Amino acid sequence: MGNFLAFCEVLEVIGRTRSTGRKSELFATYLDSLNVNRDQRLVGDDLDQIIHESEISIALACQYAGEGAFRKTTGKRVGIGSRTLALSASNFCDIDYDVVFKACRTVTGSGSEAISLLLKNLPGVKPKLRPHEWTLVQVESLFERLSECRNRDEKEQILQQVWGEMTPLECKYWIRILGQGSLRIGFDSRSILRALSRFSGQEFEQLRYVHMLTGSLYDTARKAVRRELESAHFELFRPVSFMLAAPLSKKDVSALDFSQYVAEEKFDGIRCQVHVGEGRVSLYSRDLNEISESFPDLVEWFRFKSLTPIVLDGEIVAFEKNRILPFQRLQKRLGVKNPGEKLIQEIPLLFIGYDLLYHHGKEVVNEPLEVRREMLESVCDSFGVSFSRQFAVYNIDEVRTLFDAARARGNEGVMLKKKSSSYEFGQRRQTWLKVKEPAGSLDVVILYAHAGSGKRGGTYSDFTLGISVREDNRFEEEFVPIGKAYGGYTDQELRKLNQRIRTLILDRFGPTLALRPEIVVELEFDAIQVNKRTKAGYSLRFPRFRAIRWDLSVSDVDTLVDVERLLIEQEDRVTESQIKPISFILPDTK
Amino acid sequence: MYPFESAGGHGIYLPQLKLSLDNSHREAEWVFISHAHADHLPRDRHSRVIATPFTHQFMRLRGFKGECSELPFRERLSLSKCDVTLFPAGHILGSAMILIESDAGRLLYTGDTKTPPSPVTEGFDLPEEVDELIIEATFGLPIYKWQPIEEIQAAMQKFALQSLQDGYTPLFLGYNLGKAQEILHLLAPLGVDMQIHGAGFPYCEVYQQAGFDLGNVRAYNRATCEGSILVAPSSALGSGFASHVSRIRTAFCSGWALTEARRMQMNLDAAFVLSDHLDFFELLDVCKTLAPKRIHITHTPNPTVVQHFLEKAGHQVSSLEFSPRSEDADG
Repeated sequence: MGNFLAFCEVLEVIGRTRSTGRKSELFATYLDSLNVNRDQRLVGDDLDQIIHESEISIALACQYAGEGAFRKTTGKRVGIGSRTLALSASNFCDIDYDVVFKACRTVTGSGSEAISLLLKNLPGVKPKLRPHEWTLVQVESLFERLSECRNRDEKEQILQQVWGEMTPLECKYWIRILGQGSLRIGFDSRSILRALSRFSGQEFEQLRYVHMLTGSLYDTARKAVRRELESAHFELFRPVSFMLAAPLSKKDVSALDFSQYVAEEKFDGIRCQVHVGEGRVSLYSRDLNEISESFPDLVEWFRFKSLTPIVLDGEIVAFEKNRILPFQRLQKRLGVKNPGEKLIQEIPLLFIGYDLLYHHGKEVVNEPLEVRREMLESVCDSFGVSFSRQFAVYNIDEVRTLFDAARARGNEGVMLKKKSSSYEFGQRRQTWLKVKEPAGSLDVVILYAHAGSGKRGGTYSDFTLGISVREDNRFEEEFVPIGKAYGGYTDQELRKLNQRIRTLILDRFGPTLALRPEIVVELEFDAIQVNKRTKAGYSLRFPRFRAIRWDLSVSDVDTLVDVERLLIEQEDRVTESQIKPISFILPDTK
Repeated sequence: MYPFESAGGHGIYLPQLKLSLDNSHREAEWVFISHAHADHLPRDRHSRVIATPFTHQFMRLRGFKGECSELPFRERLSLSKCDVTLFPAGHILGSAMILIESDAGRLLYTGDTKTPPSPVTEGFDLPEEVDELIIEATFGLPIYKWQPIEEIQAAMQKFALQSLQDGYTPLFLGYNLGKAQEILHLLAPLGVDMQIHGAGFPYCEVYQQAGFDLGNVRAYNRATCEGSILVAPSSALGSGFASHVSRIRTAFCSGWALTEARRMQMNLDAAFVLSDHLDFFELLDVCKTLAPKRIHITHTPNPTVVQHFLEKAGHQVSSLEFSPRSEDADG
């Protein structure tokens, strides 16, 4: 029961299937094959044991398909990089990692696929194989053992065991599950929940809700099989996925009924979920990691407020002398655990709430935004917590006017939120729409092309871009890298780029090509940051292609001095003072 | 030992013999055309071409108007400075390897080749012994290993029948000369009506004259194509081919279909790893069998890896890097 190879074979078929509905059907059928027929003539302990194993296999199958080697909520990981895996597999296959493996990975765009194909194809591997049947439960204990390894040799021993005892297909998925990332079969957790719903006969919406509450496909599947979905409940200090916003496209604008939406300014800070209760305060970031240690001042501030148990969604911004400071200032506090008094003084913080998830001992995510908002206002008012101001907008012109005002106040743009919407955790749909613009753009030149991975395997899809330092006597070279971009172009542009690149190759370093600097790209970005670890001394936040400028030549490339000028403008950007704040409401503190 | 120069494209020029191997060189007196794929054809019509009768026939269909000495397989032809003999290459109908014998030794140039040979070719056959070998290495990485053709054929037939049964029109993507006829031949036993892209149809007649069964094939007709098995090059997809058929399932047939990324990028219903080149391990085997004093690899995006493996097997190897093959090439 719960044979790992059978599981991998189903994943492989799902990967080759185009229809999303059909994918879920296939997985549902597979889950059903793990289920115990309760009419079997088994009695007492035997039956209990078999049912227990079946439940665990079903839960593990769901977890491995969508969540990885460990439940996300455990925070457990295996510290093995893709290079370690590739080196170990190259070792087992007796091939040269640098010469052979790297070329194979470049062409496939996937280390796990390359390893799997090499194990399958190389004639020297066969005599080393000691195939043995793995169950899902055994695979789990293998992951456990791996996470408990304290040194390289122990890990290497387990890896060698995997290469020898699993089939190449199992190895491929084992590596992908281990990486806690996507299995690259076009099968997301939504589809897994659909399959689970089809198999267990439980409502999809209910499964989705339990998945949000538990944050785990394993727990969701387990509860579904045991018919215990009702027992799932919201727990303080277990963060839930954030609701996300989709960008407002031109197409949306014409079809949008503005009267159903309300606008808020979009703050340029750190998204944060605050859990308060039982004398404890915890802050969580968008990836659901606890970030309380980085912001002890904020934690202390919340503790001082002694709020009733509550979960707030909002933004941490840098705020000083009635002004919201540029993100660059706030950034100095990012990732600094237990910051010193000086840094805390230098960059004072403000939390601005804009949603409420839990209040008065129960979750309120299913209430419409208007109702949540009412509760939010009353809580914030009584405890003196800032919260976003809402604006009525009736057409796109009013959105634009608000957008300009928001920018002047140091904010990123505007959010449109549907008044009737529930809190759609972990989803990016049309219910929240964001309006923002890039902070600036630069004309840069392509210096290196990197082979893409996954969907973009086999093409050069990531590019290192250079800024001109030709007349800069701080540098010897003509161009220095200013950033790396891997998006913003169309498939057609990418094909044209790839053709052109082939004529410009100066050198090859594994998956990377050094190119003659000729292709000029107009790059847009969200901000310029000082970054001492780069040669240029600066890096760009979220750089992406705006256009490939076939019409420009390298002499048109912007210079590092241009970058420095833009940064000064950006840092010195004086945001409007909000003595009586407009972007948000700061309740009187009594 | 022969010195080499580039003849442009995939071509290699032997200045000593004034002989060009594929494409053409302005100083060449003779040009050997290994097979009739566009990227190997002569650049000008003034060269005196040596090719097999079928290759010549395909070249004529593609608009070649120059002079050609047709040379059947295993017949020796004396040129001014060397003798040449052709051997079947197994790539497409008419495809040939050339054995060149002169004072400089015995040199074999494979052109594009496949072993075991494609079922719609004259086979694959090597000469006894050579001093030097120029071999193509299009699929020059150990990730490339083909399944037996019987397994691929069974899967293709299953896909075609299942699609038809579900009310879908199956469309197989493969280029017009060679791959398309191989697909038709593999599906012929189904006895189902098949239609091929108009530009590929004239080549079918040549295959049929040569005695290959291409089943019930007709030229593509927009009005009647729904419900038949369709065969067309990938390039036809964006240009209106069967664009009115909404219930269609698309399968890609190529060696490049082996990687997940390529399959994903093309948004396919199926992919069959059906190549008309030898795989990496077959390439090593050919080198081992011939055991030449020197091997030159060509037509490869990964010369370093092929060289590495051949050298480990004890061969003397160099790479003719002036004729790389991009991964967009047909395969």
